[in-house]
Amino acid sequence: MAKLFYLSLVFLFILQSCTYSHSGSAIPKIGFLDAFQDETISEAKRGFLDALSEQGFDEKNKTLELVYKNAQGSIPTLNQEVSYLLNQDLRIIATNTTLSTISTAQRTHTLPIFMMVSPSPEKAGLLDKQGKAPVNLFGVYETTAYIDTSIMLLKEILPSVKTLGAIYSQGEPQSADAFKHLKDQSEALGIRLVALPVNNSSETQLVVQNLLSRHVDAFFALPDNSVFASFETLLKSCNAAKVPIFTSEEGLVKRGALAAFGADIYAWGHQSGMMAARYLKTGSTQGLQPEIVRLRKKVYNKEVASLFKIQIPGGIIPVK
Amino acid sequence: MSFFLQAILLGLSLSCLSLGIFISMKIFNIPDITADGSYTLGAVITGLGLVKGWPIGWVMGLAFLCSALAGSLTGFIGTQLKVNPLLSGILVSYGLYSVNLSLLGKSNIALIQVRNIFAIFVKNGESTQSQTWVLVCFVSLVAFLVILLLKTDFGIAMRATGNSETMVRSMGVNTNRMKIMGLALANGLVGLSGFLVAQYQGYVDVNMGIGIVITGLGSVGLADAFLNFFPIPKVALRVLGVVLGTLIFQSLLGVAISLGIDPNFLKLITAGLVLLVVIIPLIKFTK
Repeated sequence: MAKLFYLSLVFLFILQSCTYSHSGSAIPKIGFLDAFQDETISEAKRGFLDALSEQGFDEKNKTLELVYKNAQGSIPTLNQEVSYLLNQDLRIIATNTTLSTISTAQRTHTLPIFMMVSPSPEKAGLLDKQGKAPVNLFGVYETTAYIDTSIMLLKEILPSVKTLGAIYSQGEPQSADAFKHLKDQSEALGIRLVALPVNNSSETQLVVQNLLSRHVDAFFALPDNSVFASFETLLKSCNAAKVPIFTSEEGLVKRGALAAFGADIYAWGHQSGMMAARYLKTGSTQGLQPEIVRLRKKVYNKEVASLFKIQIPGGIIPVK
Repeated sequence: MSFFLQAILLGLSLSCLSLGIFISMKIFNIPDITADGSYTLGAVITGLGLVKGWPIGWVMGLAFLCSALAGSLTGFIGTQLKVNPLLSGILVSYGLYSVNLSLLGKSNIALIQVRNIFAIFVKNGESTQSQTWVLVCFVSLVAFLVILLLKTDFGIAMRATGNSETMVRSMGVNTNRMKIMGLALANGLVGLSGFLVAQYQGYVDVNMGIGIVITGLGSVGLADAFLNFFPIPKVALRVLGVVLGTLIFQSLLGVAISLGIDPNFLKLITAGLVLLVVIIPLIKFTK
């Protein structure tokens, strides 16, 4: 009897916790899905919520109900969180980074998805056989075009660069794509690129040391998850070898890279948030479609520039 | 309620993985972590096969066979080259990462407009109903076959190898061959989970297997806790217990998600819930 009682207790507990009653309130309820925890990436969430707040949707004023989930880097958890969010009677779902976007887009074809920090639907492999993106996919994406601008910036600041070091993640679609682009671009500009892949952030130290031993003049940090996770390791080794780091994301410049020309993750989230606010106001997806990230900035880190004694040309803004 | 069902569906998809871990861990007493790689391998084969439009039965068989091959490689390294079994599993799963990546060509492919296993009975494979039916049938069949296999003479020799290797060897059984075949079977099952999950989530990601062995071990451990109710559980009960353990493990994760706590504490809460479920029966028994 005790066994039966215990078993039924467990099941009741599970059942009870999983059945949620839907509230019929008028406050728009939105979901936000992160695949993992990261300092820089979470800026997109801040931007997204700030944009909604500016447009009159704020959790504090009870004009917005937010269901936030973070899979903490586990794909089975991510799947469950997608299921959970899809059962929450949401008006929209916001997805941060590629994996969240793909997981969600593959599971719902009706609920509007507002993505950020994700590649174009084409790069994410989400186009159907007719070449159409999912009808419910909106938000803001980036192509690998930012590599061109970043390389130009590098040439502008350090015209004498001959050898460029880089690491990339084989396991991340956007990183591998960006790397290919970086390779083509640097070849076109006569810069020799020495690069090695990393599979996870624990390998960064070893790989970077190896690259630095090959006399690189500068280092290019492709903004992918491994770099975000282990940037300080990369920075320490590069500083010790007196090699400046270039990148294409402002957050990394704040963390000690010399300069970047690329999307600002906060602004990226903000742009997606503005689009989401428009949908929440009108309730119509008419005229909405995935758009490319609008704001790209040239930024540099003052302290790092003086450390390396590099003169930064005008038109490049110092970050705080 | 629908969310709860989704958690169960994911649990069903993952129960083949737990069965595989059960065979290597509980039957053979080998700490095999090849699963991290063979699970992804099963998913990768599935992704490639479905995109190319191969028949689903072929894709399933191939996913099973390739993952089984990976398992037998671990067995070979462990038994013939006398490498520590834990290390041989690590080596094979490490190597498989590169194999998976090069097979897939890139790190992630979405399965768009492919005919998957959920569309086997009906035209629309996306309805929860058809997914439920297919998964229930599939997992029941797999569990049934595993029970059947463990009851044959071969299966009994397998179980004996894990219990008392010296005794079994003295009876003229080649225990090394037993272990290789056992690990092949275990990883083949793990590959089947990769096959199911890839179709359930609609994409294959090269990182999807990282840490998956923990999910399997957790489910097997949960099953053990339940089997405390029975003095000497029969093999069929143990196998069913593993499936049930997986479902409960995923449901508990679902509960943790639906509690609406700070996401930073998600894993802690999940761990706490699992611990709670595991220790309650123990408290009753020590009284």
